[in-house]
Amino acid sequence: MEKKQHYKSMCRMCNNHCGINVYVENGRVVNITGLKEHRWNHGRLCVKGRLGVDLVNAPDRLKKPLKRVGSQWQEIDLEQAYDEIAEKIKKIQQTWGNRAMGIWKGEAVGFLTQEELARRFAHAIGSPNYFSNDSQCYVGRWIGYALVSGTWAEPDFANAKCTVIWGSNPPYAHPNMTQSILQGRENGGRLIVIDVRLSAMARQADDFIQILPGTDGALALGLARQLIRDDLISHEFIKGYTHGFDAYADHAKAFTPERVEKETGIPAERVVDIARKIGNARPKVCIYAGNGLEHHENGINNVRAIACLDGLLGSLDEEGGNFIPEKIPLRSLTLYDEKPLRHLGPIGADKFPVLYDFRQECHTMSAMDTILTQKPYPLKGMVLTGANPALTNPNSRKVIQALKALDLFVVRELFMTETAELAHYVLPAATYLEHSELHTYPVCQSIGISPEIVTFPECDYDYMFWKKLAHRLGASHYFPWEDENELNQWILKDTGITVETLFDHPEGFKYKSRHFQKYKKEKFNTPSGKFEFVSDYLKGHGYSHVPEYIAPTYMSDPNPEYPYVLVTGARKLFYCHGRNRNFKRCRTAIPHGEIEMHPHDARQLGVDTGDVVTVTSSVGSVDIPVTVVPHSHILPGVTQITHGWKESNVNLITHDDRNDPIDGFPLMKSVEVKIKPKRQEDGE
Amino acid sequence: MRFITMDIKKCVVCRNCEYACSFQHTGDFNRADSNIRVAYHDDIKICLPQTCMHCEDAWCMEICPAAAITKNEETGAVEIDSGRCAGCKMCILACPFGNIHFDKSNLISRKCNLCKGEPQCVAACISGALQYVTAGDSCRNNREIFQRFMATLHTPL
Repeated sequence: MEKKQHYKSMCRMCNNHCGINVYVENGRVVNITGLKEHRWNHGRLCVKGRLGVDLVNAPDRLKKPLKRVGSQWQEIDLEQAYDEIAEKIKKIQQTWGNRAMGIWKGEAVGFLTQEELARRFAHAIGSPNYFSNDSQCYVGRWIGYALVSGTWAEPDFANAKCTVIWGSNPPYAHPNMTQSILQGRENGGRLIVIDVRLSAMARQADDFIQILPGTDGALALGLARQLIRDDLISHEFIKGYTHGFDAYADHAKAFTPERVEKETGIPAERVVDIARKIGNARPKVCIYAGNGLEHHENGINNVRAIACLDGLLGSLDEEGGNFIPEKIPLRSLTLYDEKPLRHLGPIGADKFPVLYDFRQECHTMSAMDTILTQKPYPLKGMVLTGANPALTNPNSRKVIQALKALDLFVVRELFMTETAELAHYVLPAATYLEHSELHTYPVCQSIGISPEIVTFPECDYDYMFWKKLAHRLGASHYFPWEDENELNQWILKDTGITVETLFDHPEGFKYKSRHFQKYKKEKFNTPSGKFEFVSDYLKGHGYSHVPEYIAPTYMSDPNPEYPYVLVTGARKLFYCHGRNRNFKRCRTAIPHGEIEMHPHDARQLGVDTGDVVTVTSSVGSVDIPVTVVPHSHILPGVTQITHGWKESNVNLITHDDRNDPIDGFPLMKSVEVKIKPKRQEDGE
Repeated sequence: MRFITMDIKKCVVCRNCEYACSFQHTGDFNRADSNIRVAYHDDIKICLPQTCMHCEDAWCMEICPAAAITKNEETGAVEIDSGRCAGCKMCILACPFGNIHFDKSNLISRKCNLCKGEPQCVAACISGALQYVTAGDSCRNNREIFQRFMATLHTPL
């Protein structure tokens, strides 16, 4: 029998990228454990990480390229598939123009370079239309912070005197962050959790602030007002390094504790108390904004209002505050400087210019309308890799209708997902254990590389996939590297670090020690070069220059027909976004979707845990079993459904066309709904 | 010799430990099969992980009429020999902490055996609440935390 082989790599079962040991026997991955020496996770690994074994060996993994023939799938030779796809792309681009092709990157299969490769390919074939799930996740917060401070800084929890976890549940969303948050608390720091639900993180909070969905901006401005009144602010930072303090302070004045109570449901005295607790810990205050802040009609301004607190407290780029990591000079694969294509009208850039300006992201929600209406121009083909928008984008019915209407839809995936089922071609992808890719850990200022551990003959990795297509489309000069090892070397060239060095440092190669208060020497990456309490850039685009607060519609204009407010997308232990539902073991633990409901609401509806209800918004309905949660877990009138369940897909009822006016994020976390028990006789 | 310590100020009841334990001896993620149990007491806001403490003078070991429970000399774990266990449940009654469980499919008692010195619950504990340490380490650790706490009393937050 062959001896067990041992590799050291990085996990990609969520976006935390913990260090892992991978054990292989007879060419098969048999075990994955946490890597003790890794700078980031110090040997601890959640059960999702162990599931990598299930992922790579899954019996339902796609191993053969498939082509749709009528309503059937037919196996097809891999090179033949690339030939046919390339021919079809050519035809679409010749008939409808280069921009009629879209490229869509998911995050399921790779690390650092997967995104840049997809962006590179889109521009290489002359299309500005690069899509990803980022236009409805993550980027809203990134832009919110970047508008204020030029970047989204990294929280230095372990050294914080006061940590504020705002709209995030790290134990499930970013498991390994939990260690450092609690380390900070063990060192004497205070933990404040602001959330709609009593999350796993909130169980250890010194102060748990239960807030009404989408009202976070009012609280942030109320805290600002109180901090200014109590003079718990950093005058040195404000005076020396910020722009627009007076206008911002003036704007915050209206947010008295009483007004905040009215808007957010948080008692006025708690607002005052929390502000003092935060203010007294300055500048070692670490505020982390989570995904719960996006997906609202006023999401980005709510995030900006929170980001501004860093400036008040002087906690930005401080030890124990939000630290701005120094970058490693990796070569970029994108072609935005070499071959800018904004003049071709990237989809969504007209409606949401800020999204494109900051992230060069096209707007996936607008893409569905573009496909269906051919306005402002036809979008006829899409190549999508490792994403499942049929389940994860809002308004699934429209998404499915649109993707079905494409002339060419190519999906590169690990499994036959709900999205892959709609494709003309499905190509098998390689997992994170089957190729070598770079990844950086900004908070530790270190970089790592994954080795190729196992391979399957027809499962191409990202670079090979794009290269093979590009070579057939006359764009070979943009993909000159023989394989990903050559590519990795090219990316690292200006850093002075070699691929070999990285393989010698599975714990993560530290490229630089941390330095704080860099703003004293360098400017912030904002138009004024300062920390911007107000944004003249936004004003120039016709938006408010201060982080204004607009109450969510369910508060400002309640519709008696839809009396409940629904939050979606809270994370669950075994699942990362739409993934892992096909693993039997996960289903043992968490077998199905659920609507979390306050006991009071359940009583009023006459339902109990396990009863099925029909949840309806103005977009559609979904049937889903109820879980009645303890009183303290959620406020009466507020409900939660986690996305990613095919059988009870909450995105059938979320809004794709009610967007934050600045970044275009869809309304998915303060959805007005009605709920009705589904009685036996109502069934089929 | 090491044992598992539990820090109730770090546990978030994420249940990674329970599932890791279940997986270790059944290959499935079923909380009911776990030898470590965590609970969140909503009324008093306390997170409580609980697993066998591998007592030196273990009551379960003393009472077992089949002499199926022994102390592993190498790891210090109090272990049940599944071949000898008759399923009489005396150990379950004897354990004052409720850390011995009944395996319904095999009709025998089941408890933590420290996974032969590599406890999987600790490896999967993402909060840092569970540690696998010697008694000396644990006491040093507690001393340091207490000293830091004392120090904070003198520096205003």
